[in-house]
Amino acid sequence: MILASLVVPAAVAAWLLTAGRALTHRAANLLATVASVVTLAAVLTAVVARPTVDRAWVPSLGLRWQFAVDGVSAPLLLLTAALGVGVVLHTLDRPAAGGTPAAFHACLLLVEFGALATFFARDAVLFFVAFELVLVPMWVLISRFGDPHRPKARTDAAGRFVLYTAFGSTLMLVGILALVARAGTADLDVLAQGGGRGIPVHTQVVIAALLVAGLAVKVPIFPVHTWLPPAHTIAPTAGSVLLAAVLLKMGTYGLVRLPIATLPEGFARVAPVLAVLGAVGIIWGGLACLVERDLKRLVAYSSVAHMGFVAVGLASGTRTGLQAALFANIAHGVISALLFVVVGGLKERWGSADLATARAALREITPRLGFALIVGLAASLGLPGLAGFWGEFLGVYAAWSPGADRPAVVFRTVAVVAVLGAVLAAAYSLRVARTVWAGERTEPFIADSHDGEWDVAFVLVLVTVALGVAPGPLLAMTSGAVATIVGAGP
Amino acid sequence: MTAETLVSINWLVLGPVVAPAAGAVLVLLVDAVAPRAGRVHCLTGVLALVAGLLLAVPGTLQAATRPLRTLCLAAPDGACLYEAGPLASALQLGALAAALVVLLLMWPTTAADAGLRGGPAVLVCLVLSATAGAAGVAAAHDLGSWLVCLELATLPAIALVALRGTPAAGRGALALLTTSLVSFAMVALGAALWLTATGEAVFASGSVGSALAEPDHRPVLLLGVLLMVAGLGFKLSLVPFHAWTPQAYAGGSEPVAAFLAGTSKVAALAALVVVVGPLADAGAPVLAAIGVAAAVSMTLGNVLALVQDDPVRLLAWSTVAQAGWVVLPLSAQEHRSAPAAGGYLLAYVIATMVAFTVVHAISSATPARGAVANRRTLTAYTGLLRAHPLLGGALGLALLSLAGLPPAVVGLVAKVVALRPVVAEEQWALALVAVANAVVGIAVYLRWFAVLLRDPEDGPAGPVVRRVPRPTLVALVLGGGALVVTSVMPQLLLGLLD
Repeated sequence: MILASLVVPAAVAAWLLTAGRALTHRAANLLATVASVVTLAAVLTAVVARPTVDRAWVPSLGLRWQFAVDGVSAPLLLLTAALGVGVVLHTLDRPAAGGTPAAFHACLLLVEFGALATFFARDAVLFFVAFELVLVPMWVLISRFGDPHRPKARTDAAGRFVLYTAFGSTLMLVGILALVARAGTADLDVLAQGGGRGIPVHTQVVIAALLVAGLAVKVPIFPVHTWLPPAHTIAPTAGSVLLAAVLLKMGTYGLVRLPIATLPEGFARVAPVLAVLGAVGIIWGGLACLVERDLKRLVAYSSVAHMGFVAVGLASGTRTGLQAALFANIAHGVISALLFVVVGGLKERWGSADLATARAALREITPRLGFALIVGLAASLGLPGLAGFWGEFLGVYAAWSPGADRPAVVFRTVAVVAVLGAVLAAAYSLRVARTVWAGERTEPFIADSHDGEWDVAFVLVLVTVALGVAPGPLLAMTSGAVATIVGAGP
Repeated sequence: MTAETLVSINWLVLGPVVAPAAGAVLVLLVDAVAPRAGRVHCLTGVLALVAGLLLAVPGTLQAATRPLRTLCLAAPDGACLYEAGPLASALQLGALAAALVVLLLMWPTTAADAGLRGGPAVLVCLVLSATAGAAGVAAAHDLGSWLVCLELATLPAIALVALRGTPAAGRGALALLTTSLVSFAMVALGAALWLTATGEAVFASGSVGSALAEPDHRPVLLLGVLLMVAGLGFKLSLVPFHAWTPQAYAGGSEPVAAFLAGTSKVAALAALVVVVGPLADAGAPVLAAIGVAAAVSMTLGNVLALVQDDPVRLLAWSTVAQAGWVVLPLSAQEHRSAPAAGGYLLAYVIATMVAFTVVHAISSATPARGAVANRRTLTAYTGLLRAHPLLGGALGLALLSLAGLPPAVVGLVAKVVALRPVVAEEQWALALVAVANAVVGIAVYLRWFAVLLRDPEDGPAGPVVRRVPRPTLVALVLGGGALVVTSVMPQLLLGLLD
């Protein structure tokens, strides 16, 4: 099942790139829909049945094809596969400009393939290889299929995306190789059981710092977040959704799998720095959102703030914190996907996403889009009853009462700052709602959402509400795996 | 072996060296009888190289501790002058395969060799003899044959560059000649010092260890090794001995540049591995110098490649950068260092040969109507992926492999292989320089890759060339196929080395 969920998107993408180049948009879309639905079914089966794959790939490097599912990766796998279907459906009535439709769909499938492989991988080096898989297809999505009006900005944003994240992942590779050389195995489960025993603490700190620094670029954590806003602004809607909802999660997932699980002692020394940077990111992102004029950039900056909460939760060293981070991960995936579907749709209709231009109020002319936007904004400011609430609430709680080996003063300060950041989130969300949604203007007219776009947005709204009302199932799914990583702590 | 034989010879083991050498002689003989038989020479060359390739395979199947040996002396110590372990045989395979691609590119149907003096016989003979030298130096186990094979691998390359006859080619050949002479002087001096220090003309870790232990011999040996490394640095285009590279590449025709980038580099690395091999066992500090050279080469090569507009010059500077990556693992004293350098080199050779094949196809074939006039610029590649899917796809895969990005997994795995010994030795500074260069390298190759993807300003891209000559197509399919296969199963490449 695992192999099926990997082979199907990869094979279909390869076929689209070679033999299927001349396909029309509809045919390519149909094929990609079938492929992504089959993948989703395979992932669902894999999450339920929990199979494992383990076979040699490059023996002289000790590299194995080692795939498995556990509580940490299962929600992310489901999110990725579901959004894989979502972005393909969303593309149905917007033929991509800038290249062949076959190439566009192939890139979407390849990103999905790379993300799934990353979440499935149980070998540290294989994790790195899968981590790199998404780079080129995402780069093509941004540089070829991005905002058609700004070719220069496209090249810039795509280049920045690839260079920043490649820097991060190569740094991570150095950390992984050092870890593997020291521990003598690349099996993530064995590494996690070993828990860094037998490695001197100062080496642990160096390796953990390398891993955290490398992954921080992908998350992204202040001050290496600067690639994110341009990439989000320029990318096509489907690309933005995958970027925010899936690619960023690869960074946080890597943080859980690598430094936190395998080098707890080393990570404990690095954690305060991570928490402080996370808090700075929360404030920085919030402040940027207050003054940002481009709606897509604004959502991108809010992502930086939200990932700051995730970083704080991860750094706290408690079970609650880790649970909160994993929950916030999924919640942010759903919310940002929703926001990018709405905001991307608005940008297409308006021609730009400038907030200073006077436009018709969404409440008046496009009630569906307006509704989806309000739900997304409300969830993003952490309103109870919606998905965003639990991750942030529990994250702040975890930072207030951090693990025994964490400096309490630093973490309590971080918790206070994070709460201030949540206030900023309320401020900028309401600012956007006031400018875009409220008002009386009905000119210039834009069409409301329908068909694929509305289906995707509506499902995302439902999931946002469901996660907010009933967080239990998701928390239960991750709790077992989290307990084995953090141990018997609170 | 009878008592009176001085040296025992196993011709089959010597095959990878003898086959191209015999091919070279045969080509000259045929040329004397039938001077006009252009394609026969190429065919002879190709057959000789294929025979060499087949004969090199058994060596890769041996265990590293039990290499195939021949040319063994009957003297009591019984040293062997030729030792082909898996690493040496894999490098021989690389050198022979690269030469095979070069011969296919030189096939006389192409228009490019109209300007080359001497005709196909001389060209083929030069390529074959240089290849024989490259294959020989990989397995040479004593100073004498090592020096001879190294120069045999170098001198024909100078002639190949000069044969084009243009002023640029003359300048390139002159630069190459001067550096070769200097490097030969350094290598020869280094070899003499090695002989003085160890008292043996054979590369063996035992005598090196005892020479290092003696305070009188230690500085002599280290100086000798440093000189040899510097001399080989010229051939490997390591900074600061790289200056000839862009001139010679741009001066020669594309096949000749491909030869310099492929077979010549394999010969230089093979020679370096033979020298450094016993030193790594003995734990000598000269390796730090290699680390510095690696770091500087990568940085300078990548930065200068970033601003080139001529694809051949870009590939020349990328060679300088990649040479840094190749010797990077050698700076760590580990048993995996030499195979890692070999593995990286082979991955690089495959990718760069594919890139040169496409560059050659674009700039030498008959131009299509309305195509860009000057095809030695990056703009000539605009929209290649759509206009010529095969050419564009192969070049794109090669560039991604050089950059180390999936889907060209082989390049990524090669980077992992090269970094592993350095990280295991905890040389953090060197590792960080390598990380920075991995990023700059991506910028270099993606810049070109982006051109392949981009549509020209006036609508979709039209074809650039009318028809790709069949031998070039064969080379392209061989090289591109190798890239795809090794990307799916990198073990096929790395498994050769251990």
